[in-house]
Amino acid sequence: MVMTTAREDIIGSIRRHLATSRPFDAVHGEHRHFEVVANQALPVENVTDVRKLLDNFCASAEMLGIHIEIASDEREAAVLIESVIDRTGAKKIAVSNSQLVSEVTEIIETVEFTRNASIDFLFDSDLGITSAQWAIAETGTLVLEAENEDHRLISLVPPVHLCLLEASKIRQTLGEILELTQANLGHAMTFITGASRTSDIELTLAIGVHGPGELHIIVLNDR
Amino acid sequence: MKVSLFVTCLVDQLCPNVGVATVEVLRRAGCEVVFDERQTCCGQPAFNTGYRKEASKFAKRFIEIFESSDAEAIVSPSGSCTAMVKHFHELFPDEPEWRQRAEKIAAKTHEFGSFLVNVLKVEDVGAASNEKITWHDACHGLRDLGIRNEPRKLLKNVKGAEFAEMENADVCCGFGGTFSVKYPEISAGMLDNKIEMIEKSGADTVVACDASCLMQINGRLSRIESKVKTKHLAEVLAS
Amino acid sequence: MQQLTAETFDQNARAALRDPVLHGALRNLADNFVGRRKNAIASVDDWEGLREKARAIKEETLLHLDEYLLKFVESAENAGAKIHWARDGKEACQIVIDLVKQSDAKMVVKAKSMAGEEIHLNEALEKAGIEPVETDLGEWIIQLAGETPSHIVVPAIHKTKEQIADIFVEKVGIEKTDNVDVLTKTTRRILRERFAEAEVGISGVNFGVAETGTILILENEGNIRLTTSLTKTHIAIMGIEKVIPKFADLDVFLKLLPRSGTGQRLTAYQSLITGTKKNADDAGPEEVHIVLMDNGRSRMLSHPVTRQSLACIRCGACLNACPVYQQVGGHAYGSVYPGPIGAVITPQLIGISKAKQLPYASSLCGACKEVCPVKIDIPELLLHLRAEITDGTAGGSPDNPERKRRFAESLAFKMYGKAWSGQFSYGLGIKAARLMQKLIVRDGKIGKASGLIAKLLPPLGAWTAWRDAPAVAPRSFREMWKDGSIAEARTK
Repeated sequence: MVMTTAREDIIGSIRRHLATSRPFDAVHGEHRHFEVVANQALPVENVTDVRKLLDNFCASAEMLGIHIEIASDEREAAVLIESVIDRTGAKKIAVSNSQLVSEVTEIIETVEFTRNASIDFLFDSDLGITSAQWAIAETGTLVLEAENEDHRLISLVPPVHLCLLEASKIRQTLGEILELTQANLGHAMTFITGASRTSDIELTLAIGVHGPGELHIIVLNDR
Repeated sequence: MKVSLFVTCLVDQLCPNVGVATVEVLRRAGCEVVFDERQTCCGQPAFNTGYRKEASKFAKRFIEIFESSDAEAIVSPSGSCTAMVKHFHELFPDEPEWRQRAEKIAAKTHEFGSFLVNVLKVEDVGAASNEKITWHDACHGLRDLGIRNEPRKLLKNVKGAEFAEMENADVCCGFGGTFSVKYPEISAGMLDNKIEMIEKSGADTVVACDASCLMQINGRLSRIESKVKTKHLAEVLAS
Repeated sequence: MQQLTAETFDQNARAALRDPVLHGALRNLADNFVGRRKNAIASVDDWEGLREKARAIKEETLLHLDEYLLKFVESAENAGAKIHWARDGKEACQIVIDLVKQSDAKMVVKAKSMAGEEIHLNEALEKAGIEPVETDLGEWIIQLAGETPSHIVVPAIHKTKEQIADIFVEKVGIEKTDNVDVLTKTTRRILRERFAEAEVGISGVNFGVAETGTILILENEGNIRLTTSLTKTHIAIMGIEKVIPKFADLDVFLKLLPRSGTGQRLTAYQSLITGTKKNADDAGPEEVHIVLMDNGRSRMLSHPVTRQSLACIRCGACLNACPVYQQVGGHAYGSVYPGPIGAVITPQLIGISKAKQLPYASSLCGACKEVCPVKIDIPELLLHLRAEITDGTAGGSPDNPERKRRFAESLAFKMYGKAWSGQFSYGLGIKAARLMQKLIVRDGKIGKASGLIAKLLPPLGAWTAWRDAPAVAPRSFREMWKDGSIAEARTK
């Protein structure tokens, strides 16, 4: 007896059953025309104006309860970060290795920021600061590519996540983002739309169940 | 327009007045109505329970009978039986000739209310009533045939009548053919939700275009001795 | 708690109908999710076009599933993921167990996975001496309670917060509370400890992209992100139908799934994982394993009607829209997949002879088809399965009362097929009915006053227990037509 692998068996079973179906497919297909639209493009909202994109992004973010502020330069961004630190009383702060985060946090001298934080530190931390590689205006979404910044855990483990975003990185649609990121797809990409939430108990909304309970976004208007 | 009436077995036997009203409204709208006495049932109970062989016999018989008429349209006072005619082709996967005949018949078969509005372009049939009316969307008329606005237009044009939309008008009444007796407790639970919405609407008459839903709804209204009455769309429009 | 089976749907349903707590919960579900979904789909310009396109993509994929699956495997392996093939649930469980043992782990953190539920992975892990810890809030509640999920998206929807608080008091020793925030904060605190010690994380997969080898997982809580980024080994269980051709296709499905499932434009998090990290210092697992599982799926490809079942993206919209689900809840279906989609998937997965009632657990109202984001014609599928059952091809033990009932029913339909398809015999049958009904018709209807006889005729008894039945009219429409009483003259 020849032993077949699971892979051979499953692929074989798929082919066998598809063959069984073929005579029925023609009759059934008389009333269905799905094939026609599989490759048809959907209508896209084409927004390229940076100001409009920023407005759209802010509107979507605010609808989700995201704290969003606009800074005209790094100095203003630093002030906004300080006020978040003040308000949340954050002591243990983890920051990512992004250029933008470094530039802004270096301005703040009174606070200690921890780079390359250990997992133990993160579990005990109060705030995580990262940047985002892209953002989606139509949904208020941050796009984090782990290949380009070590923000996979910093944006997740601390109770508060603060994210810096360059205005020029905002696109209107998810479709554009998928197109932009596909060429250099890294091992992990995360889309973040608002704070961690659940409705698992009586469909009552509760914030911050596993991930951050607060999400702050500071958009740098000049970049 | 010459119209062949597909009266359906439920209307024929349980509420013939609905058939009479259908004829009357169609005539008022300028149609010549013919009725082939050989017709019986469309086979839906068999089809819906899984008995395709039996259902296909009904379908073939139906097709033969209605093919023999020179009427331009086949009209039925039931969304669900009309929808069954539209399903006939599924019964003949190995008989292309029958499939074609089924599709021809299906193309000229219409539910009563949508026939008035979409084919005859009539939205006011000159009916009058002093009832407060609410509409129940029968599932097959709504989802298989896409009928939603047509009956509402017709009912809103009934002189003297008040139209009150109920909540969840498009939720099933729980009939479902043999479902109503296979799972009577579930069927009744669904029905009670429907009754609650009907009574909440404040209407004194609930109208639909399917004798089966009306039988289900009326059966419960009658059992709980509610003051709300059920009427078929044709009965309201014939008044 | 004893697990219900699909074979006893009728009994399960009756018990559920008597449960007022369940009823309140189900009403809450319908009130919330139905409206939220409606609002969310209004934010898309061409919802219908989007549904069409999604279904077209799924249809294209399924018609060439062998090719797309092999392409997915190639891409994922190139990116560093390890692929495993499982013919059935037992094989899938064994693969997972072996992988966990290889990494010397005694416990695993789990993100919600319907595929994992389907193969009873927790049970298998426990038997192998591995502790599974569910981390999705709803799943964790269910695990603490020793139950099974009753909904695809909100597993603990059948529980009130009081009941959940009681479980927490008993199992994790908190003070009694009626504050949902306290319950979620407690969950966070306790599960964080488990995350900290976990070496292996197990998740499901929402979409697998053939072109890139990417797996995408959606969530709101963040536990999936923790499961897939804190651990050293990530094992993803993926049904073979989860593959889609192109990375750009995600656009379509990410517009449809959250809107249909929870009424959100997008859930809080999507993790797109493409193989393993290239830089050892990066956060994230060293190993990513994808278990491709058939478990009865490939045979659904054998007919265009059943093939539709594999287009399902597990959004749960059909459950929320289904008036039958709203009456009986998820457990009555006796399967991890409840509601309309469960009624068609379960019989195909476990064998139709073990779930013969499920295809009949529907009034065929079509609300499911109307909301389905990938346009699965569930009523068509239900009818297809019903026909399979009445064909006799579905089998079952000859002693089974269900089978005896089926025999009586099939006889009745044969008689109806003969009698009602002839004009003469149809007329004769009606005359007989009119004669017989004299015994039971009171005040023109068959109701409470009609006594025992109505109750003894099985279908009539089932009807009249809740409803009055109309009597056959003294003169039928055809009789009136024949004798000219529907004369032209009456027309104005």
